[in-house]
Amino acid sequence: MLNRSQKWAPYLFLSPFFILFLVFGVFPIGYSITISLFKWTVSGPQEFRGIGNYVKLLTTDPFFVGSLWTTFLLLIFGSLLQHFFAIPLAILLNNKSLKGGDSFRLLYFLPYITSSVVIALIFSQMFDHNYGWLNYIIENVFGGEKVKWLQDPRAIRSSIAIMVNWRFIGWNTIIYMAGLQSIDQSLYEAAEIDGASGLRKHLHITVPLLLPIIFFAVSLSIIGGMQLFEEPFVLMRGYEQMGGPNNAGLTSAYYLLATGFSFNRFGKASAIAWILFVIILGMTWINKMVTDKLQK
Amino acid sequence: MRKKVISILTMFALSFSIFATGQQGESDPVPAFDPEKEYSLSFGGYGDLERAYKTIFESAEFKKALPNITFEYQMADFGGHHDRLTTVLAAGEATNDIEALEIGFIAKFVEGGGLTNLAAAPFNGIEEGKDIVPFAMSNATTAEGRLVAYPVDIAPAVLFYRKSLADAAGVSLDNLKSWDEYIEAGKKLTIDKDGDGVIDQFAMPHASEVAMMPLNGGKGGWFDEDNNPLQPKQKFMDSLDLVKKIREAGIDGDLGAWSGPWIQAFADGTVASIVNGAWWGGALKAWVASDLAGDWRVAPLPGGLYASQGGTYLSIPQQVPLENKAAAWEVIKYLTTTSHAQLSTFEQIDAYPALTTVYDDDIMNEDVPYFGGQKIRQLYADVANNIPSAKVSEYDAVVLAIFNNAVTDVLVNGSSSEDAYNKALNEIRAIVD
Repeated sequence: MLNRSQKWAPYLFLSPFFILFLVFGVFPIGYSITISLFKWTVSGPQEFRGIGNYVKLLTTDPFFVGSLWTTFLLLIFGSLLQHFFAIPLAILLNNKSLKGGDSFRLLYFLPYITSSVVIALIFSQMFDHNYGWLNYIIENVFGGEKVKWLQDPRAIRSSIAIMVNWRFIGWNTIIYMAGLQSIDQSLYEAAEIDGASGLRKHLHITVPLLLPIIFFAVSLSIIGGMQLFEEPFVLMRGYEQMGGPNNAGLTSAYYLLATGFSFNRFGKASAIAWILFVIILGMTWINKMVTDKLQK
Repeated sequence: MRKKVISILTMFALSFSIFATGQQGESDPVPAFDPEKEYSLSFGGYGDLERAYKTIFESAEFKKALPNITFEYQMADFGGHHDRLTTVLAAGEATNDIEALEIGFIAKFVEGGGLTNLAAAPFNGIEEGKDIVPFAMSNATTAEGRLVAYPVDIAPAVLFYRKSLADAAGVSLDNLKSWDEYIEAGKKLTIDKDGDGVIDQFAMPHASEVAMMPLNGGKGGWFDEDNNPLQPKQKFMDSLDLVKKIREAGIDGDLGAWSGPWIQAFADGTVASIVNGAWWGGALKAWVASDLAGDWRVAPLPGGLYASQGGTYLSIPQQVPLENKAAAWEVIKYLTTTSHAQLSTFEQIDAYPALTTVYDDDIMNEDVPYFGGQKIRQLYADVANNIPSAKVSEYDAVVLAIFNNAVTDVLVNGSSSEDAYNKALNEIRAIVD
């Protein structure tokens, strides 16, 4: 039989986290619902709008729906595409006969831990259309025409997608490598005895057994991709222009930050955050449905 | 479950009341400054400001005038400082007693609130600031006449050009009557020096850099008296047309501002001129093109345009304790209305004075060797005195971003000025709430 103080002790020990989580996690999140119902500027609430901010964003706002479209495109070509590179890479790096596997792992992971300021500097030099080495290669090696990477609306999205892929392929590779470690080697040996080729082995053993990890990594990518901000922000000159020509670089999270911290509409910005939250929740749920079905 | 809902609702209600009590009333009386009392003030700023003001605060003159004030500094980089200020003001949290603001951020706080009205008693900032250049005062004044910040330095926009390159091309950029004249001269300045078929000297780095010149440098003036955006239309069309004409004339290098090649271009002869604020002269001399002493020159903008391109303001947030407000105001007055502080700041960090009475000072008449002995400070003073006053609005940041996009539409997508203008106009109308 536990006495009274023993009964409460676990809660007491757990309380520091929960108190901090309540104050810095739950409260601000809940409070932002309140803010999203107001016209809210630097000096606080100005007038009650009800769901007006939400309705306006989804109907008359000239940028929000377009920014969602940009976000989806970048989600597909930036955040999701990288899994098609990361899984084969992980399998290659996991190969025991590969020499120097550790240094490759480190190299692929390096972009993920590099400071975004450094990345911004390097990429804006790389994408510079007069002197950047990307255009230098296109012109001198392939004999093509210079691409205005940060000005042409289509090229802007490619530039951002390239940067996102470069940054996160290594991170996903590491996640998949961890998943590969847990696959029983005897399955591969059995398949070999049955005469399965390398590709077949991976299609029929690796991919199905990796599904839970794929779900996890894709979920993280969806969440990260829907919140994509840093890359377009540094490439498209911050809040100075609305994400470049045709707003091609304006993702929803970028628009959210601009609306709040540059244009001073914290209510509207909170409403954007909640719409994004619902979309992310929905997409993660769909992702779960699909992986569950595949696992069966 | 019901209990949970109630407790959550109580939490929200509570937070609201905390917020409500946190705000200080406009009408609370600020006690008079007490010369006998010891004050300790905190100063929030960015960039070189600490260096400049620290020198002043430690000077004998300042110590004689205000011996009973000591300072603490909270400095950050340009973006970080303004982000912090936005966040703390929106949250109603404590700020520094004096907060610096760059002109581009003034509009945001002008209607947004959160800053003390310096026009009201006991500050009476409008009378105290009668010698401060008028356009800078009006940029910090709301439609209701609240003065939310005090101009401390300004940046008159001028045309910087390289004399040797102009002479070689046989053109003069000193007294251009119109932008067309500039474009004509620019065509002569845009040349293929080494004859390899690629142009390697341009008249200017980027066409978009002139977009704000017909528009007061983009500081205010986005809405007319009746709150209609982008009026009169012709003024904004002029801006878009000008940018288009320059790009079509092929006289700009399409160099992105502050990129490596852009900075390099001023030292290696890739560009012959640029339109920028007075502070650019300091940057050229100090690090951008320090080897080119004696070659760069300054001229008024073509076509008699007057615009400003930067500038710093000082403000006292609402949250500041009342008695600190009194001391903060004395400090702001010292920095903005005494020739000692204004000239010292100018000497330290090349920030051009907002106080017009110092324009007659000897130092303002000196020849500047870097600019070939030109009296550039008199030229700046002339521009400063002529910059038109423009009304700022709380939407200026978003309107500026939208108009910048219209400029790139014209430059990159080849939109007509008319289409780009209409698109921007519709976007602004939709976003104003």
